[in-house]
Amino acid sequence: MMLLESVSTMDFIGTKLVDFLTYTGFANVEWANIIMIAVGAFFIWLAIKKDFEPLLLIPIGLGIILGNIPFKDAGLEIGLYEDNSVLNIFYQGVRLGWYPPLVFLGIGAMTDFSALIANPKLMLIGAAAQFGIFGAYMVALALGFEPNQAAGIAIIGGADGPTAIFLSSKLSPNLMGAIAVCAYSYMALVPVIQPGIMKLLTTKAQRQIKMKPARQVSQTEKMLFPIVGLLITTFIVPSGLPLLGMLFFGNLLKESTKTTRLAKTAGSALNDIVVMLLGLTVGCSTQASEFLTWNTIFIFIIGACAFVVATASGVIFVHIMNLFLPKGQKINPLIGNAGVSAVPMAARISQNEGLKADPHNYLLMHAMGPNVAGVIGSAVAAGVLLGFLS
Amino acid sequence: MAQGAHDFKLNEVFVLSCPKQCTAVDDSGYVSPAMAAACPKAAFYVDEYGQPASWIEIENTSYSTHDIRNCFLTINPAVLDKTMSAPEREKLMSLIPAGDLRTSLAAKQRITFFADGHTNRGTLHLNFTLPAGEAFTVYLFDGNAVDLLDSVRVEALPAGSSYARIADDEWHVCDTDNVTPNAPNVQYSNDKIKEFKEKDPHGIAMTLMCMGVVFSCLILLFVFFHIFGWAMNRAAKLARVRAIRAIHEKAERVVEMAKQGTTETKGIDMETYTAVIGLALHEYFGGTHDLESGILTINQTQTTWADKSHELRVTPQIHPAN
Repeated sequence: MMLLESVSTMDFIGTKLVDFLTYTGFANVEWANIIMIAVGAFFIWLAIKKDFEPLLLIPIGLGIILGNIPFKDAGLEIGLYEDNSVLNIFYQGVRLGWYPPLVFLGIGAMTDFSALIANPKLMLIGAAAQFGIFGAYMVALALGFEPNQAAGIAIIGGADGPTAIFLSSKLSPNLMGAIAVCAYSYMALVPVIQPGIMKLLTTKAQRQIKMKPARQVSQTEKMLFPIVGLLITTFIVPSGLPLLGMLFFGNLLKESTKTTRLAKTAGSALNDIVVMLLGLTVGCSTQASEFLTWNTIFIFIIGACAFVVATASGVIFVHIMNLFLPKGQKINPLIGNAGVSAVPMAARISQNEGLKADPHNYLLMHAMGPNVAGVIGSAVAAGVLLGFLS
Repeated sequence: MAQGAHDFKLNEVFVLSCPKQCTAVDDSGYVSPAMAAACPKAAFYVDEYGQPASWIEIENTSYSTHDIRNCFLTINPAVLDKTMSAPEREKLMSLIPAGDLRTSLAAKQRITFFADGHTNRGTLHLNFTLPAGEAFTVYLFDGNAVDLLDSVRVEALPAGSSYARIADDEWHVCDTDNVTPNAPNVQYSNDKIKEFKEKDPHGIAMTLMCMGVVFSCLILLFVFFHIFGWAMNRAAKLARVRAIRAIHEKAERVVEMAKQGTTETKGIDMETYTAVIGLALHEYFGGTHDLESGILTINQTQTTWADKSHELRVTPQIHPAN
């Protein structure tokens, strides 16, 4: 009797163990998962070893691994796309587009617009660099994407992760994962993509142009900028309200000098929390079944084109501006690349390339002008696309 | 007015009537499914009891969720009498009861109320019926029974037809095939995308329009801050000139007074007094520098004092004897 009972118990344990094994990742893994896990690991390696945007690539890299852990679809409420799972709750911020405005709040609270206010003509470089978006839009249309999908993909050219997520969540939600990963990947690769194009489009003499130091900006001007900026941009493009509203709100918190605590929180703790959740969930959304498609490959190709066009158009636009500017007020074309809104990475590239051409030429503060104008420009472009196509 | 109540609009009205006075509808308003099926011209939308009835559809035209509970529907024009009190009005109207989840309408969603006079049948049933073959007006009132949210005049409708809102303030009579209870009156489609696909297949128009808008925004900002920056600079310069002029005037006055010896020295000898004034004038005319350029001009020079190796402590070594 005892023997029979123990045999039946062993059977039970055996059955349950076999059942358990069907739930493990080993039983459900596919080649696509392995590839995506390797991609995630590569992102983490890039962030740690090469120092490429670690604040973004580490959460995204781990998110990619997390999102590609294979499991049996048994309604355990664990996957990103399963209702009520923890990851799904975090993902709502991406899906419904409320992480990007919060990131913009933080960007506004951290950004000093002085360089732009002191030399307002640099705003035009920020506008010119948005050609990257529309160059990519045309390429995407040529590759057969629908206008709304093409717009979602093209916004990668703005080099602005939150804007890309915001727009793609509204216009092409099925491509959002690929678009977000592509945007952040290329933003991390700005130091690799931009210098070559900048050198190609400038002569040594042009790279050595020294710009006059910017004038001092009064606190009144700094306080007025977010209010006037908000009014002008949102009156023209109300569809950009979530992004532009939060950007200028964050900046007003900073510049009003009366809400330092709020600005500090928006620019540090709040921003960090949102970036963590955003990066992780965007990474998670790249489940192999959704991500490893031809569309993703096309998106990466279009994204690369977008970055090249954006950088080139910024630099070329500076050349055009220099034709009209008097001697002594010429702009160093190396700050043209900063028209893309990868803040402050693109401005740092201008500084580094400027120092390579002339060790005494400091372009960082000059480049911050088009760089922050690029943030405004890409948010406006996203608003316009949303208005036209939603 | 209740929050979002003004977003509720009457959307479609259907009056139950049977062509040729057929027997599908009896005196009590009951229509058997078999009879209804036999009556091809009648567009019957049946209630929870399988009963066809006249109905009024209301749409939440906003992009957020609102609850239509506690609002009132009526076709009695007496409610327009402004002298009537709210309780009196309420007696003439049909209340949309609270406590039913169906009255909460998400963005652009619709709800259909059956005008069958049988409120005992549930939330969706009104206490009045719609007259067939006659004109009438449907009124939708807010929860206070005073504020009129929407109204529509319905002329005598052909059998099986409805009166539907196609656009804001644009109503059409829809024949049986186009009656759309609990559904949009106009088929929604993303025409914008279709239009762009057809008319701008290469994206050139989109590029021109969008870049135009982006440049407009930033050019406006540029113009504003260019002018504002110029004005600020000018104001600062003027203030500086004014301050310097005032100092000059004061200084000239003091010098003049000192020369004339009209200044009271209050026990201080004139020589010291003149020296103090001279020092003050020197400070005013050159010694002070209240406007800094903001440029650091310290040039780093390499000397042995600045040599890093001289600043480092020698790493402690264990003596070989130990």
